[in-house]
Amino acid sequence: MLQYIVRRLLHLIPMLLGITVISFVIIQLSPGDFLAEMRLNPIVSQQTVDQMRRNFGLDQPLYVQYLKWLWNAVRLEFGYSFAFQVPVTWLIGSRLLNSVLLNVALFAAAWAVAIPLGIFGARRQYSLADNTLSFVAYVGISTPVFFSGLFLLYIAFRTGWFPIGGMTSIDYEFLPPTGKVLDVAHHMVLPVIAYGVFGGAGLMRQMRASLLEVLRQDYVRTARAKGLAERVVINKHAVRNAINPLITIFGYSLGGLLGGSAILEIVMGWPGIGKLLLEATVQKDLYVVMAALVIGSVTLVVGNLIADILLALSDPRIRYD
Amino acid sequence: MANRAVEVRRRSRGASSEAPRAELRTPAQLAWRQLRKHPMALAGGAVLVVLYLLVVFAEFLAPYSLDFADRERFFHPPILPRFADSQGVSLRPFVHGTTLADPGLRRYEADPTRRYYLRFFVRGEPYRLFGLFPSDVHLFGVDPPGRIFLLGTDQSGRDQFSRILYGSRISMTIGLYASAVTIPIGLLYGGISGYYGGRIDNVMMRLAEFVISIPDFYLLLTLSAVLPTQVGCTTRFYLIILILSFIGWAGFSRIIRGIVLSLKEQEYVLAAKAAGLGDLRIIARHILPQTASFVIVVVTLGIPGAILGESALSFIGFGIREPCSSWGNLLTQASNLPTLILSPWLLFPGLFIIAAVVAFNVFGDGLRDALDPRVRAG
Amino acid sequence: MGQPGARLAVIGVLIAAVPAAGPAVAQMGRPSLPDVPNPKVVEASDVGRFGGTFVVSSISDPRTFNLLVAQETSSTAPLGYLFESLAETNRVTLEVEPNLAESWTVSRDGRTWVFRLRRGVQWFDGRPVTADDVVFTLNAAFTPGVQSSLPDVLTIAGKKIGYRKVDDYTVEFRTDQPFGPFLRTVGGIAPLPKHRLEAALRQGATEFNRAWGINTPPRDLIGNGPFVMHSYAPGQRITFVRNARYWKVDRQGQRLPYLARIVIEIVPNVDASRLKFLARETDSYAARPREYAELRGMQQAGNFTIFDGPPTFGGDFLMFNQNPAGVRPPKLAWFQNVKFRQAASHAVDRDTIVRQVYAGRATPRYGPESPANKFFYNPNVRQYPYDLARAEALLREAGFARGADGLLRDAQGNVVEFTIATNAGNADREAIGNLIRQDLGRLGMRVTFAPEAFNTLVGKLVGTFNWEAMILGFTGTIDPHNGQNVWKSSGSLHAWWPKQERPATDWEAEIDRIFDQAATTVDQQKRRQLYNRFQEIVAEYVPLIYFATPLTQPAFRNTLANFSPAPGAFYDIETIYYRTPYR
Repeated sequence: MLQYIVRRLLHLIPMLLGITVISFVIIQLSPGDFLAEMRLNPIVSQQTVDQMRRNFGLDQPLYVQYLKWLWNAVRLEFGYSFAFQVPVTWLIGSRLLNSVLLNVALFAAAWAVAIPLGIFGARRQYSLADNTLSFVAYVGISTPVFFSGLFLLYIAFRTGWFPIGGMTSIDYEFLPPTGKVLDVAHHMVLPVIAYGVFGGAGLMRQMRASLLEVLRQDYVRTARAKGLAERVVINKHAVRNAINPLITIFGYSLGGLLGGSAILEIVMGWPGIGKLLLEATVQKDLYVVMAALVIGSVTLVVGNLIADILLALSDPRIRYD
Repeated sequence: MANRAVEVRRRSRGASSEAPRAELRTPAQLAWRQLRKHPMALAGGAVLVVLYLLVVFAEFLAPYSLDFADRERFFHPPILPRFADSQGVSLRPFVHGTTLADPGLRRYEADPTRRYYLRFFVRGEPYRLFGLFPSDVHLFGVDPPGRIFLLGTDQSGRDQFSRILYGSRISMTIGLYASAVTIPIGLLYGGISGYYGGRIDNVMMRLAEFVISIPDFYLLLTLSAVLPTQVGCTTRFYLIILILSFIGWAGFSRIIRGIVLSLKEQEYVLAAKAAGLGDLRIIARHILPQTASFVIVVVTLGIPGAILGESALSFIGFGIREPCSSWGNLLTQASNLPTLILSPWLLFPGLFIIAAVVAFNVFGDGLRDALDPRVRAG
Repeated sequence: MGQPGARLAVIGVLIAAVPAAGPAVAQMGRPSLPDVPNPKVVEASDVGRFGGTFVVSSISDPRTFNLLVAQETSSTAPLGYLFESLAETNRVTLEVEPNLAESWTVSRDGRTWVFRLRRGVQWFDGRPVTADDVVFTLNAAFTPGVQSSLPDVLTIAGKKIGYRKVDDYTVEFRTDQPFGPFLRTVGGIAPLPKHRLEAALRQGATEFNRAWGINTPPRDLIGNGPFVMHSYAPGQRITFVRNARYWKVDRQGQRLPYLARIVIEIVPNVDASRLKFLARETDSYAARPREYAELRGMQQAGNFTIFDGPPTFGGDFLMFNQNPAGVRPPKLAWFQNVKFRQAASHAVDRDTIVRQVYAGRATPRYGPESPANKFFYNPNVRQYPYDLARAEALLREAGFARGADGLLRDAQGNVVEFTIATNAGNADREAIGNLIRQDLGRLGMRVTFAPEAFNTLVGKLVGTFNWEAMILGFTGTIDPHNGQNVWKSSGSLHAWWPKQERPATDWEAEIDRIFDQAATTVDQQKRRQLYNRFQEIVAEYVPLIYFATPLTQPAFRNTLANFSPAPGAFYDIETIYYRTPYR
């Protein structure tokens, strides 16, 4: 197993090379450049714009730019953001923790709600409760996040129970430690609801479908025939098998732990990397985008690896060598 | 639709095998019998049929053309046919004329003295039904200058009901196009990868991860710059969707591969192997059908996912572009609070989205049960 | 008071002039401070009370804290609390008045200007603000590679402006020719502390561009303005506290500012900004035209006032590509034809645009300057009322004719068809584009309307020139001279045909002459006449077809005092205060 993990991680290297080359080319081929906004400003002259292109190295041939970037990236220097003139690592680092914090919370909430409800729904298939749950899930799935986020902000405004977006309040700096925790938790309620309904709904449906599938298997029938208690049948036999596809999903969604909530962050004003990356992408802030791609690819691959390992652990029939 | 694809594949495979002919028709018949047992699924199916009828007859049902705009009546609230006013009761439904009273608050005042009667099979703007038969008959309408805006108008004074009908042609088919590309590729790719395992699996999955990591935003940007602008907004969008689907299969194939990994160790697969069946045959005949329920869930989430994805694309300006319409791009207008508070009818496209998504899901649920041989046996 | 939807960079020359001030009083017993013998007196309606936190919102993070390289409002606005310019524009009269420089003189030939700095003004760390700082700032700006747009406005007819330190508190500027917008331009310079940034500049331009980035500890940002930056949480907020060494006083001689703290809350979008304002989390909000009527009805309940503000400076327009490098002959001939463009202008339904897009809060516009520009706006230019018959007549005069199929053809029989582009996601421009497409369609033209990504659009505009017609907007400033990059035929933003070696048409040649002449004229009356003529030419030959000038509608919490509607800002940050204890 250890050998397998090492091998998988080694595979990361050619893959990252491939991804960065392709991305670099696609990004640079796409029209316009970072300086688009500045070019439209009447008081900025062509000379200034050209000068900035030179400063950013954008006047050099593509492969030179890439090789320079690669050489730095190998030494974990991801360059400077065009827009912010600060190291990309600082820029992303200043918000990464916020994103992780939110995503872990969202993740935990969605799974904590979705799995039991999915099991519940499968056990009482087509009951009133199941149908109601399904319906709520459908509506949850079919509401765009930008929309539910906006709606919740409006609710916050009408009721006054929650702050209008953000992560902390104005006086955060002056609060005692417990006050700080409570303050952040207070701000987290709405995003968690927004995402819980959306992300949790899909998960719940998957769990329900998967368990229904297992419940029809012969061994479940056998277990029931043996006279095992329904609770034991479900928990010990059915759920353990039904959860396999979910584990794959779990691993894969680990890959989205950093960027998965981007739109939600943008709508709810959460100071994570979502808005930063979206703006960098739209403006072609090259090195920020490249760093984000590297981080994204690494988390994706590691997430897949974890998914594979978990799958092997939960299902002894699966082996890798 | 992938579930249809699964069904078709089964049938063709059935024909090639030595199974007796009598069994050929039974899967579909049995499925129908099963489906009938679920009223919710049937209701979902019925909603889908209605929605697809809207797609087909959009031009006939819409009182106005896609491009019609009444500049005097932007953000106009819905005008519903009525049977009575201060002048008395009328058996023929009619509407009142309105005038803009306050552009700031978008208040319109009805003129109760002027009635415009609702008429059916009226002649209006010409169109081609199914793109073939020229016609200018619309199901209903009122005589100008009267207006019938069942679901209100948007900021340019375009009839939202008509635009939703036209938009359904894009929204209701996008998922089909996308799934038609992604599901077969993903199934086969994931199936092979999971079945063979080992080195092949490793290489194939790394390739899939590679494909997933290609930044689709820039691909979109590059494509939309390369694609000609003159081909019309709809054609253009289909091209982009198609190209993106060729990348989109990768995520799906990984999940299929995960399922196949555990399925391939099951006794019946081992038995098939022992019986000397070819690998591809085992994958296609014995393993992939087992993933059907999962695939159907994925597809029933995937088609509406495409509807939502299109709305998200519209949100950042890459979806269907003006002057074309789709539900997503219509709903984007409502993503702005001041507009929404004064003109809540802009949410109607959202209702259509929800209706379609729920219908797909409910129907998909029923279909999964109906297609499952074990349920059928029991 | 940003224009709704317009996300293009907004930069005035008076970069640091966010806090503006009223005319100083020079009557009985000039106030003075122990450290500043001649503090600037800021006139305001009330003598205020001290304390309170003023909370505003911004929809983007700052990109740098280095004022010299800062380009967009999200950076210049917060830095405006930290830095002060030599002279500033009065928010009421729009006249230039003393600030860091307490006086100036100009030589008779109009080429030498001497600025005397106010004594006793201190940086946050207690060091005096001197002529060395001014010279250092200019040196830095002119260092090759430093990403400042200051050299662009301080280069007159290709020659950079001359400057030298006379003594610690005197700086002399010299230009080769008299320079019309001198005072607004040089007065807008905000000095940076030499003792803090010298080391970075010595290491080169790249190092200087990165100095005082957003990763700098806020306490290291040394300015001389009314507030000191206390903290910056990326994506969340910037907090400022009162500068106890500030050098402006109220009319009773009390040291300003009144406010104890300013917080800029960073919000994701205008909707959040609006909600925060209505929920009383923030104290001011720049409402969009469509919100005006609605917010008016909420004033009482929300304890705020929404004002009928001045028009915006910038404006959107439609233009046709006249560049032979970008468009091929049949189309090029149409677009270069004045009558064709005039016909198109007559086909723009400006009244509907005003009503639909701006909810009635705008005025139709025909010329390049906004009526907001009290100094240079010329109302008497050729107007193009919505009149399709007139448009058809103009097209006929130009040799176009409609066929039996209803399509418009030119004299050679080519069907008139083209694509109008704009940036996708800008709802206002999309609505305007749809209106125009319909009306041009009624004239028999076959028009495709194609919103595209902003980057793509700009790439075409300045790079490939591969576009036909476009809807876009530029920002504006008080002095038309700052638009020379757009209006002079050699300019890189002369969008319909950039960087011409010599003007292609007579009217473009005349505009070139006007801009050159106005730049070297000091008499502001004469300059006004010159720019009046420029506006008439643009309206006559319509290279850019303007639509409308939207109004602004700022809203403020009623607990705030010392503000009033004005053509410039609605308040001076130094004198604004809370009437009742608040926050």
